[in-house]
Amino acid sequence: MKTTSTTSPILSARGLHHSFGPTQALRGIDLDVQAGEVLAVMGPSGSGKSTLLHCLAGVFIPDAGAVTYRPPGRSGLEISALRESKRARLRLTDFGFVFQFGQLLPELSAVDNVSIPLLLAGTRRPEAMRRSSELLERLELDGLGARLPGELSGGQAQRVAVARALVTAPAVLFADEPTGSLDSLASENVLTLMLEFVRETGTTVVMITHDARTAAYADREVIVRDGDIAAGYRVTA
Amino acid sequence: MNPGLLKLAVVGSRSSLGRLAGITAGVAVGVCLLLLLWGGANGLSARDNRGAWLRETGSPAVSVPAASDASVPAASNPAAPPASDPSASQQATPLPLTPDTVLMRANPVEVFRGELINRRDFAALGSTNVRIPGVGRPPAPGRYYASPALQRLIESTPRDQLGDRFGEFAGTIDDAALPGPDSLIVVTGATEAELRQGGTAFLVSGFTTNPYGGSAAAYVTVLLIGAMAVFFPVLLLISIVTGLGAAQRRERFATLRLIGASPQAVSRIAAVETAVPSLLGAALGVVLAALLRPVAAQIPVNGTRMFDADLATGWAAGTAVVGLVVTASAVAAGNRTTREGIGPLGVTRAVHEKTPTPWRMVPLLAGLGAMTAAVVIIRVLEVRVPWLESPLLIGGFMLILVGIVVIGPWLTLCVSRVGLRRARSAAAVIAASRIQRTPVATFRSVSGLVIAVFVVSVFAGGSSIIQTTEAPTARPGLLQPASLHATVGTGQTPDQVTAAASKAAELPGVRSSVVGYGPAALHERDAGPEIYLRAADAPGLGFEDIPGTEVVAVDSAFLRFSTQPLALAPAPAGTLDGLVPVVMVVGTDGTPEAMDRARTTLNRSGVTATPATSPSDIQLQSATRLVQGLAVLAYLGMFVAVAIAGLSLAVATASAVLDRRRVLGLMRLMGMPVSVLRRLITREAAVPLLTVLLLSIGLGFLVAWLMVTGINDAYRVTWPAPDYFIALGLSLLLALGAVIATFGLIRGNTGISATRFE
Repeated sequence: MKTTSTTSPILSARGLHHSFGPTQALRGIDLDVQAGEVLAVMGPSGSGKSTLLHCLAGVFIPDAGAVTYRPPGRSGLEISALRESKRARLRLTDFGFVFQFGQLLPELSAVDNVSIPLLLAGTRRPEAMRRSSELLERLELDGLGARLPGELSGGQAQRVAVARALVTAPAVLFADEPTGSLDSLASENVLTLMLEFVRETGTTVVMITHDARTAAYADREVIVRDGDIAAGYRVTA
Repeated sequence: MNPGLLKLAVVGSRSSLGRLAGITAGVAVGVCLLLLLWGGANGLSARDNRGAWLRETGSPAVSVPAASDASVPAASNPAAPPASDPSASQQATPLPLTPDTVLMRANPVEVFRGELINRRDFAALGSTNVRIPGVGRPPAPGRYYASPALQRLIESTPRDQLGDRFGEFAGTIDDAALPGPDSLIVVTGATEAELRQGGTAFLVSGFTTNPYGGSAAAYVTVLLIGAMAVFFPVLLLISIVTGLGAAQRRERFATLRLIGASPQAVSRIAAVETAVPSLLGAALGVVLAALLRPVAAQIPVNGTRMFDADLATGWAAGTAVVGLVVTASAVAAGNRTTREGIGPLGVTRAVHEKTPTPWRMVPLLAGLGAMTAAVVIIRVLEVRVPWLESPLLIGGFMLILVGIVVIGPWLTLCVSRVGLRRARSAAAVIAASRIQRTPVATFRSVSGLVIAVFVVSVFAGGSSIIQTTEAPTARPGLLQPASLHATVGTGQTPDQVTAAASKAAELPGVRSSVVGYGPAALHERDAGPEIYLRAADAPGLGFEDIPGTEVVAVDSAFLRFSTQPLALAPAPAGTLDGLVPVVMVVGTDGTPEAMDRARTTLNRSGVTATPATSPSDIQLQSATRLVQGLAVLAYLGMFVAVAIAGLSLAVATASAVLDRRRVLGLMRLMGMPVSVLRRLITREAAVPLLTVLLLSIGLGFLVAWLMVTGINDAYRVTWPAPDYFIALGLSLLLALGAVIATFGLIRGNTGISATRFE
């Protein structure tokens, strides 16, 4: 099934197939993600949603099909045709990632964790620290920059991870069960802050979730089942 | 304990099997080396015990009148001609041989091709009860017993260069009296008159079994220090390898806790799952050690290999090592798991290292203080307090050794703090942060290398003084390095000595043969302070500035390997009339064949009272030769220690990658290039290594200087031999290689699959 919208897509997937040995994870998915939208990808475990996210982000090269990225003001790139080093660079500069677990470097302070993507992109450290601190403040983590991940609550650590994903001002934020390990209150807090920020900056979000309440924060949701899109889109706003 | 649960914990996945294989292999290598090193230490001790009889010095062969304050004949200074001890020849009365005694002369300078031969000459009554170790009854005059290695040499060398020195072959010395299969030992038979002639023979009624004499404590201490340098990295390797994959195990244990296992059950599982591969590895190590023993015995230490049996540790030692390693690794794994407080949702308590504090400087400073105090007492206050000096020097050394390990984490922490402040790149920030949070664990991975480098620096510094002070030089006014000299016995006529000198002069490779004269034989009371010779012969001794008289004189110190050139003076008398020949000096072209031929001829001439000696012989006899030998042992030890430490570093680095595979995988997923991860891993190994390595080298030479100045303030520590720099370079290369070897792990273990939770 093909799911599209009326505005220009920032990411387009066409005919994505991907297998892990005998298991077919994706079976010819077509998907457009519009610039600035928050897209929720839902589906049962093993349906292929994480594989879809990894293909869209250039982590996996699909066995067949193509993913095209059209950054604002630049010409389109077929991600699946790029070499790993180019894809890594693209993930660093244009994409941000938030995961469910274990994403912060345990020995680094919160502010250092956030500044790593900027340092990797070549920003000078003082500037990286300044921008990281500002973002932590924006995500209501002011005063916690010097703490280690082990000294933060689950919600605080997840907001640090969100800050790290957003600090490079990515065009697309990929979130894989970003609140899956949090209680409902912390989950709501993280999502609210994250979505406030992305809507202000016009960042596109592709968010995988099991949770209908989380999906309700999205502009649109798609359901993946057995490696294909199982339901159409829904505009929530 | 539920076997199913245990099986799930131990071999739950393919990565578990890999980890178990890693532990098994690491423990096998560690146990194998431990047993070989233990065997080596036993072997050194066993061979010293077998060779103890060679240290027998006996009792004086003459009685000295009580009124005289002269001592017994000074045979213990082999480099000098027989002492001009008046009592020896004029006042002393020979003590007669009895069936319970033999007359023994130890020839301290029996040298062949730069190798010292342990020679003992014996004269005995036909009814003697004394038995020589490895030989039995003393050989008859003109016959000899040789060690197998020496006999092989004799048989493969022209007789005029070696065999003629000893006489007729009577048999080989039994292995039970030989330090090692390469030992060069000869026991010759002589007449009582021959041995009494030079005044250097002693009466012996039995042979000592104490291999070290008065220096036993120092010798054992030096061995212990060397053993520690090697054992430490081995133990470290076992410790590091049994902690392999700790992070993966924590997750597995958390799962077990989630499904109902108690903390005690998880600790027991941790202990058992470490004990099983440790036991396998230890058993494998015992087998490996047994297989490698004959190979290890071929490594020459202090000039000789060992007998295979020397390296055997016995079943008790093997069982003890296996039991100890398995128990220690199991208990450590169990305790580690308990300490980490693994709950159903993973590690419930963050396990933080205790931050190292400046107090860690104390042992190092105490060690330096103790050694400095010893030097101040000996050199500045000039007070000899033997019961205090050795403990201060050796205790200080041990404190410094421990102090380096103790201070390492604190220094690493300090450097990482500075590094974090100055860090500009992502790799630098991550590496410095990790080191700052875990300085003890970070330093542990390189501590084996650091200790090995320290100990070998001490030995390199210590052995450098010997080269400085003892290398013979060819300068006018000094005895030439390629010459041999022997003092002439009492009663030899000028014609006899001149004939012997002429015979020596005809030997191939001999350039000069000079006879020196004096008022009496050099070991007699009337021997004057000078030696006289014909001015025409002076160039043959290397003199250039020769007075215009027919006869010239030189101080007899000329024969004592003076380092200060001596000048010739015109002799008061114009002729040699009235003087007797006192010394023969033969100059050669320096080739080993010419030297050995001249030595053999002089010793067989029948006119000499002492064995022919060359200036370079002193290096072979020096007490410091032990240190040189031990320096070789230290380099060997360093090689082993560095290899093990390199392996430990590789395992620790691999472990650092594997334990962080998920988070590093996520970093890669977010766009961190593999090259940054490589730089990160390299920095994490390089920072602690370089921080403390420089300190180790500096301290090593400082300690060497303190030790040698504690022994003799005439010594100077200079640049070490090239071997040291080669060993150091190899160490760094090995460390680099160990880190590079883990690069392959980075790409494979930080892929997307590493980011998934099982």
